Amino acid sequence: MSENILEVRDLVVHFETDDGVVKAINGLNFSIGREKTLGLVGETGAGKTTTALSILNLVPNPPGKIKSGSILLDGRDVLQMSDKELEQMRGNDVAMIFQDPMTALNPVMTVGDQIAESIQLHQFVSPKDAFEKAKEMLQMVGIAESRAYDYPHQFSGGMRQRVVIAIALACEPKLLLSDEPTTALDVTIQAQVLELMKELIRKRHMSMLLITHDLGVVAESCDDVAVMYAGKIVEIGSADEVFNQTRHPYTEGLFNSLPNLRERGEELIPIKGLMPDPMNLPEGCSFAPRCPYATEACEKQPPELRHMGGTHYVACDAYNDPDFCLRRNSHG
Amino acid sequence: MAENEKKILLEVDHLTKYFNTPKGLLHAVDGVSFQIEQGKTLGIVGESGCGKSTTGRSILKLIEPTSGKIIFDGEDITKYSKTRMRRLRTEMTMIFQDPFSSLDPRQSVMELISEPIREHRLLRGNDAIQKRTLELMDTVGLAQRFVNSYPHELDGGRRQRIGIARALAVNPKLIVCDEPVSALDVSIQAQILNLLKQLQKDHGLTYIFITHDLSVVKYFSDDIAVMYLGQMVEKANSDELFRQPMHPYTQALLSAIPLPIVGKNKPERKLIRGEITSPVNLPDQCRFLKRCDACTKDCETGKNPELREVAPGHFVACHCV
Repeated sequence: MSENILEVRDLVVHFETDDGVVKAINGLNFSIGREKTLGLVGETGAGKTTTALSILNLVPNPPGKIKSGSILLDGRDVLQMSDKELEQMRGNDVAMIFQDPMTALNPVMTVGDQIAESIQLHQFVSPKDAFEKAKEMLQMVGIAESRAYDYPHQFSGGMRQRVVIAIALACEPKLLLSDEPTTALDVTIQAQVLELMKELIRKRHMSMLLITHDLGVVAESCDDVAVMYAGKIVEIGSADEVFNQTRHPYTEGLFNSLPNLRERGEELIPIKGLMPDPMNLPEGCSFAPRCPYATEACEKQPPELRHMGGTHYVACDAYNDPDFCLRRNSHG
Repeated sequence: MAENEKKILLEVDHLTKYFNTPKGLLHAVDGVSFQIEQGKTLGIVGESGCGKSTTGRSILKLIEPTSGKIIFDGEDITKYSKTRMRRLRTEMTMIFQDPFSSLDPRQSVMELISEPIREHRLLRGNDAIQKRTLELMDTVGLAQRFVNSYPHELDGGRRQRIGIARALAVNPKLIVCDEPVSALDVSIQAQILNLLKQLQKDHGLTYIFITHDLSVVKYFSDDIAVMYLGQMVEKANSDELFRQPMHPYTQALLSAIPLPIVGKNKPERKLIRGEITSPVNLPDQCRFLKRCDACTKDCETGKNPELREVAPGHFVACHCV
């Protein structure tokens, strides 16, 4: 048994469109420990969802193409699996929760049947037993058994997301991929759903990859954090390391853009400019054009992840200068 | 009046909007009252279905209110017809949430921004209109090279800048911003929030800022009103509300925000149970009753609580406060 449930090594995914090659993921490296939750943070277009789809080997092809790299799930490379093995792996070993529960559910099937369906697809059980199991799953996510006969439109957004969670967990996967699971929900409901997910994952000894753009959600539920920018990890480490000893200028920029609830500042400090066009990435560090610390050297060569102590890694060549320090850290 | 610097730009008095549905009367907005001074921002916060957008739209009379009074700049506009409202459309306008669906995909940036100017005949002659459009693009920080672009060629932040330029084109006094940054990434969100704040300073604008995001509203508003099931449950100065939230719902809402803090400074969270109840055929009872941990016998037998001033400028609708 390998130490990590998931290891992604040098992953490169491109989308080959008529207009050119979209470089969605450019050499991605990270791993998730057993019974750990890794938060994958980044803005629209950073490649977060493509990462999740790659783990399931579900990148739409064409136009998507996994160019190179390996994805070791429990020691086995997902990218080398046959269709049959993939079918076995999806649902049984890895399950995914999507952002929008309304489009993830079948509107003309009762929720009980939908949960039972996923159980029957992956396990040898009679339809009756599957439905009984489905009812149990509903109870587990805090929905009354009797509602197994209702259709998705009869549920609220938060309830629907609970149903989606029940479906994902029905086959007891080892790894759960959650793509913005609470983004479509109201804050009070978001808090409930996050709490529920945390509890279920702990009880069932699962690992999770939580994809989100919300640093608050990460702080709430993740052990480790990876910050993604233009298809690469720019900073990775434990939540404590990334939040309290932030190292990458982009991560610092994300924190500065957040309105602070504690103090009411006069002005937010946005990150200037926009995410680079993934068809036309800069030659050097892809964050250099927006980076307040960038030097000429940054524009020439892309930085490699470097070790900063503990489990903390950062991809920034400013640290070639041993005295370099982000403004966020300089005043205590 | 001359020495009185505070000028009330908008006054809303017991505004209600009911919708008839097959299941009964839906109380979307139920007796909402507030005032806004010129140049200030009122934040209206609440979760889906609390009636915040319906309130915003009723004020602009995009939706006909069921009852209540709307007094804008000294005029009672509640009973104004569509044609009479037309003149006022240059004084009060709106910025929408979704810059993807609120812009006509077949119009270029130039056409989009100049449309309100032409529509209200604010300027004559193509040259003058073009000049003003370019000026507006400058004001909202949209580079002139995009003047012939179409919305689909632009990212969300730039699209929202077009929306803001359209709202500014008519020189309004009041802008209702309905979740203007919810669809944007945080780094872009900060750019747009800074822009809106700068414009307020430069043009003396008055904002109603409708959002579900409490951190945004705190950054932005002078006063904040919290809505729940069509009613205001708490209203206070922004700092006061965050320092001392009194209504159990406000407290729960504040505590539910996931804070980007890891480690010992992280405050304890308080979850509320259940979900927002259906706004159809509501009984005359506290609407938060079923989800409230603080509720007493008085709450169960009592009527729907009214907003009361419990501290100077701090209003709460709760039996227990």
